[in-house]
Amino acid sequence: MSAAIAAEPAAAPLLEVRGLQKRYGAVVALRDVNFTVRRGEVTALLGDNGAGKSTTIKAIAGVAPIDEGDILLEGQPVSIRHPSEATALGIQTVYQDLALCDNLGICANLYLGRELVSSPTAVGPHVLRDVDMELEARRVLKTLRINLPALDTPVASLSGGQRQAVAIARAVLWDSKLVIMDEPTAALGVAQTAEVLRLVRDLAEQGYGVILITHNMQNVFQVADNIAVLRLGATVMQARKSEVTPEQVVGAITGTLAIPGTGAAGALA
Amino acid sequence: MSSTVQPPERKSGQESEQKSPFTRWLTGVAQSTDLGMLPVIAALIVIWIVFETLNANFLTPRNLSNLAAQIVVTGTLALAEIYIILLGMIDLSIGWNSVLAASVFSLATVFFHLPVGVGIALGIALATGIGFLQGMVVSRIGVPSFVVTLGGGMIAEGLTLAILTPHGGSVPLADDFTTAIGTLNLDPLWSWVLSLLLFGAYAAVTLNGIRKRTASGHEGGFAATMRLVGVAIMLFGAVFMLNAYRGVPFLLMLFLIALFASAFVTKSTRFGRHLYAVGGNAEAARRAGISVKGIQLAVFVIAGFLVGLAGYLDAARLGVASASVGNGDIMLNAVAAAVIGGTSLFGGRGSVYGALFGALVIASVSNGMNLLGAASSVRFIVEGLILLAAITIDTILRLRRMRSGRA
Repeated sequence: MSAAIAAEPAAAPLLEVRGLQKRYGAVVALRDVNFTVRRGEVTALLGDNGAGKSTTIKAIAGVAPIDEGDILLEGQPVSIRHPSEATALGIQTVYQDLALCDNLGICANLYLGRELVSSPTAVGPHVLRDVDMELEARRVLKTLRINLPALDTPVASLSGGQRQAVAIARAVLWDSKLVIMDEPTAALGVAQTAEVLRLVRDLAEQGYGVILITHNMQNVFQVADNIAVLRLGATVMQARKSEVTPEQVVGAITGTLAIPGTGAAGALA
Repeated sequence: MSSTVQPPERKSGQESEQKSPFTRWLTGVAQSTDLGMLPVIAALIVIWIVFETLNANFLTPRNLSNLAAQIVVTGTLALAEIYIILLGMIDLSIGWNSVLAASVFSLATVFFHLPVGVGIALGIALATGIGFLQGMVVSRIGVPSFVVTLGGGMIAEGLTLAILTPHGGSVPLADDFTTAIGTLNLDPLWSWVLSLLLFGAYAAVTLNGIRKRTASGHEGGFAATMRLVGVAIMLFGAVFMLNAYRGVPFLLMLFLIALFASAFVTKSTRFGRHLYAVGGNAEAARRAGISVKGIQLAVFVIAGFLVGLAGYLDAARLGVASASVGNGDIMLNAVAAAVIGGTSLFGGRGSVYGALFGALVIASVSNGMNLLGAASSVRFIVEGLILLAAITIDTILRLRRMRSGRA
C-alpha cells in the first residue's frame, strides 16, 4: 500500500526522459522530447493539439513504446514496452476517459483486477473479501483527503469530480511513484476543478511525482512546480514555474516566441 | 435477495442524521438508477392480486405448486441467458440447445440403454460443448453473439430433428430416476429443515457483514435488514404453501440450487466481479488486466451447462423428449423473463435472481390466464405489454444514469 513516500532531495530525479523519438509510418510524432519529473513535484506538460503530449504519455505508460531515446527512472535507464511494465515500475496513468466501470461500486473500481480474495481450496473459488477491501480503501482515501459516499455506491451516480477522484485514488493505491494525469479537469465545473487540483497538489506533497497534462493555463500556475512545453514533437521550454510568466508559456506553446531549445527563462525576445 | 445493489446513501452531514433510516432508504431508492428486484416483485404482487380477485383458485396451494413446477425450465434458461446478457450479449440458441440435450439424453437412455447418469452427462456435456464453441467464435474472432447463436440454434434445431424424427418426433422417457425428478416432491419435514438451514446460513453471512461494516462506521444496515426480512417472508411463505399441497417439487429444488450457486458465483467471487466489469466497460476491464476474452468464453460455457440442465429438467417434467417444445417460445420466454427480472440488455446490470422473479411473472400470467379460460391471443398480448414495460423501465433508468454521469 502506498503510504506517503519520503520526499528526499535525491540527486537523481524520479523520471528523466531524453531525446524521445517516435514515428508512426511517415509521420514524425516526437522529434526530441526532454524533461524531468522530481519527487514531490507537479510537472505540467503543455502543448498545442498535435504537439506530442499524448504520444509522450503513451510512451511512458508503455502503450506505444518509443523508437529512440532514454527513459530514466530514479537514474536507471528502463525499457517500457508494455503497460504492465510501466505498472511494475510504479507508473500509473489516469486517462481522460477514466476507465471506470460505471455499474460497479467505488470500492470494486478501486480494486478492479487486483481484488483481495480468499480461497478455501488451492483452485478456488476466489471469494471476494469485500469488507477488508472497503476498510483498506477507506484508509487510503482518508490519507488523500478524498470524501466519497458509501463505498458500494455505483460510480455511475457520482459527480464528475468524484469519478476523477476515484480514478486518481486507484492510480495511487498500488505502490506507484509516478502518476500521469491526462486533462483531469477538462470536463469539470469550478468547484470540482478546485477539488481535483487540491488532490493533485496533495499527491505531490505526499511525495509522488505527478505529470499533469492540461490546456488550462490558470490550473498550471495554480499547482505546477515545473513546466515543460512541447511543440511539433520537441521540447521548446523547460522551466520552474517561478521563472516564467503565463504569457511566455503561451508564447512557447503557440510558437510566437521563437525559442530554439530549452532554457526559456531568458529567451523572451 | 430482494435488492442486489444497495441504494446509494448520501452522507451529507446534518440532513441525513435527522431522517429516519427508512426515509433515507426510500430516498435512496427514489434516486437510485439500479432498482434491483423491487420493480419485478411489485409487478408480481400486482399480478397475483389481480388474478386472485378474478379467480379465487389462483393463490391455492395446489395452483402455486403447479406454478412452482412451471417456472423451472423458463427460470433455468433465463438464468443461462442472464449470464450472457450481463456481458451485453445475447444467446438465441438456448431453446434448441436445451431440446438437443434432452434428445441426446433420451437417445442414450431409451435406445442405447445407457445408465441415467451417463445420459444426463452426455446431454449436458453436448450443450456445454456448444456453449464453448459459440463462446470461442464470439470471444476469439469477435463475431456478434446475436448471429453466432442464431446460427448455433439453427444447427441445434437440425440436429434435434435428425435425432427425433426417425422416432416420430418425440421419445417418451421410461427411467425411474427421471420420472421421480419430474413428478415427486421433497418431504414437508425435510423442506422445513432445509429451508431453515439455508436461511440460517444466509442470515449469518448477512448479519456478519452488517456487524463488520457498522463497526467501521458504514451505513446500509437498514437495507440489509429489510432484505433479510423480505427473504424470510418469501422463503418460508413459499415452503408453507408448497407443503400445504404436496411439498417442494424436486424440479424446483434443482432450479434453486442452480440459482443460489449462480448468485454466489456472480456476487461473491472474483470471477463474478470481473464478469460485471466486462459487461459494464470492457475497455476499462481490459486495462485493469482482466482477460475479457477469457470471461466471455467462461460465461458461454456456464450458460451452455445451464441450458443442458434446463433441457433435462424439461424432459423430466414432460416425461418426453420432444422436438415440438423447442419452437421459439421457450427461448423468447427465457429472454423475456431475464429482462422482466431487471437484467439490462445494455450489459453489466442485473442479478441472477431476476431469473426466478421474471419466470414467476411469465408463468403467473400464463397460469392465471389459463385459469380464467382466456385465449392464448390475450395471454400473448398481456405478456408482451409486461415485457415492453420492463424494457422501457430499463431504458429510462439508463438515460437517467447517462445524465447523472455528466453532472
